[in-house]
Amino acid sequence: MAAVERPIIEKIEFQNLSFTHPGHDPILENCSFEFPLNSICWIKAETGVGRSTLFQLISALQMPNSGNYLLNGQIVNDMSFEEFLPYRLSIGYGFDYGGLINNRTLVENLMLPLQYHKVLPYLEAKNRVERYMIQLGILKYAGLRPAMVQGAVRKITCLIRALVLHPQILLLDDPTVGLSPEVAAQFFEIIVDLRKKKQIRHVFITSLDVGWMNKISTIQIHLAESTLNFNRKEKVVGL
Amino acid sequence: MGYLVQRLDQFVISLGRSVTKNLEYTGQVLLMVYLSIRATVVDQAQGFRTIVSVISAQIYFTGFQALPIVSVLALACGAIVILQSSSNLNLLGGAQMIGNLLVVIIVRELGPLMTALIVIARSGTAVASEVGNMRANREIEALESMGINPLSFIVFPRLIGGVISVICLAFYFTVIALVGGFCITRLIQDLPFNFYIDSIAQAIAFEDIWLFLLKNTFSGMIIFIICCYQGLSVQRSPTEVPVATTQAVVKSIIYVIVFNLTVTSLFYLNQLLKLGVL
Repeated sequence: MAAVERPIIEKIEFQNLSFTHPGHDPILENCSFEFPLNSICWIKAETGVGRSTLFQLISALQMPNSGNYLLNGQIVNDMSFEEFLPYRLSIGYGFDYGGLINNRTLVENLMLPLQYHKVLPYLEAKNRVERYMIQLGILKYAGLRPAMVQGAVRKITCLIRALVLHPQILLLDDPTVGLSPEVAAQFFEIIVDLRKKKQIRHVFITSLDVGWMNKISTIQIHLAESTLNFNRKEKVVGL
Repeated sequence: MGYLVQRLDQFVISLGRSVTKNLEYTGQVLLMVYLSIRATVVDQAQGFRTIVSVISAQIYFTGFQALPIVSVLALACGAIVILQSSSNLNLLGGAQMIGNLLVVIIVRELGPLMTALIVIARSGTAVASEVGNMRANREIEALESMGINPLSFIVFPRLIGGVISVICLAFYFTVIALVGGFCITRLIQDLPFNFYIDSIAQAIAFEDIWLFLLKNTFSGMIIFIICCYQGLSVQRSPTEVPVATTQAVVKSIIYVIVFNLTVTSLFYLNQLLKLGVL
């Protein structure tokens, strides 16, 4: 069976979008915003403001309470799981914690999206997964389950899983937490390399790691007071 | 008088609320059955092999691993029922009715109900806590983010595997209860084997098989869909998992018993209609 055809992402937009977790302050309120493309975008926000929720909205894991979320001008809110699938496969989401399937080994976790959607033949998929595992130094843990490895290894596996499909949009939620500076540098090198090859196009990162973010991000967005704003004043050095 | 009317009002209102709440819950559970079947049919990516591997794992855990406990309970239940039936029927002079009585008690009622209760205790709890933990650990969210529908990947195979397991276990329970129970009874009482087998063979009818399949199929479906539903109802915290598991057990038992009672009542109502009593 042929793999799902993934559309080119040309526009990511919120239109008057509001979202509130029941019993909490609103995360976004009547927010209209067009996300910058072809960049490494640092989404800055205080802890607890809703950075993870923002990523859940972009990856359509949460639906807005009101307003619209549009991808390429198409309203995502109205799409079924199957209709959104081609877009979903164009979005890689690296969680801040958790998310690995506990009854599968690390390599099975990483192979799952590639095999399930028949993106690559088995050997090619295995080669791709092992290449990233070698680059980030976790190949020796490949046959172990998530509960049997350290938190850092789980985090790296989660990050690799977000990019094994070579998605156009990459969402990274606190990617450097728990990683050594060497591993973080190696990971960002992979991202920069994939961007150069146009295999990943739009990267959005939430992080409190100012050092790393200043090094790699090209654009900053502020999430504060239930809205999103560009922050072009700060000096940012791109790789 | 006014106080009594007020209390009656309150009773009717709370009864209404409870009925509405249960109907809503039943509707949501039925909707999940439909959505999981639909997701499996629509899902182009999920191959036949993926589903079969999860279904066979479910059959192994729910069906195969439950054989020892089912054997012990079936032997005990069979022996008790046969002992009581044969001794009392002998006293009443109706020894030839033993087959009819055993078919009614074991094949129609005890087999499906006991099997359902064993499966709820062993596998229902396991499924509810497994799915609940998957939810708390963000595994369900991760599956969705990878474009894998949890309804076709998690719920549907467990539902089908569960139904197959319940039917097979109930059949096994019935056979062990009838044959094994007879063997244990032979140690205490003199009951000729040929007479016993003839009596059962003559008593069993097509409608018993139909009733047996109906009860077990739907009991299996009720158990596994409720357990998956309760597991998926966990939001974020692992502390919700034991609560969801308890709810799954309580609701499964209630729904299975109500279903069995309803089917039995309708069956006997139909029998009475056929006989022209009603």
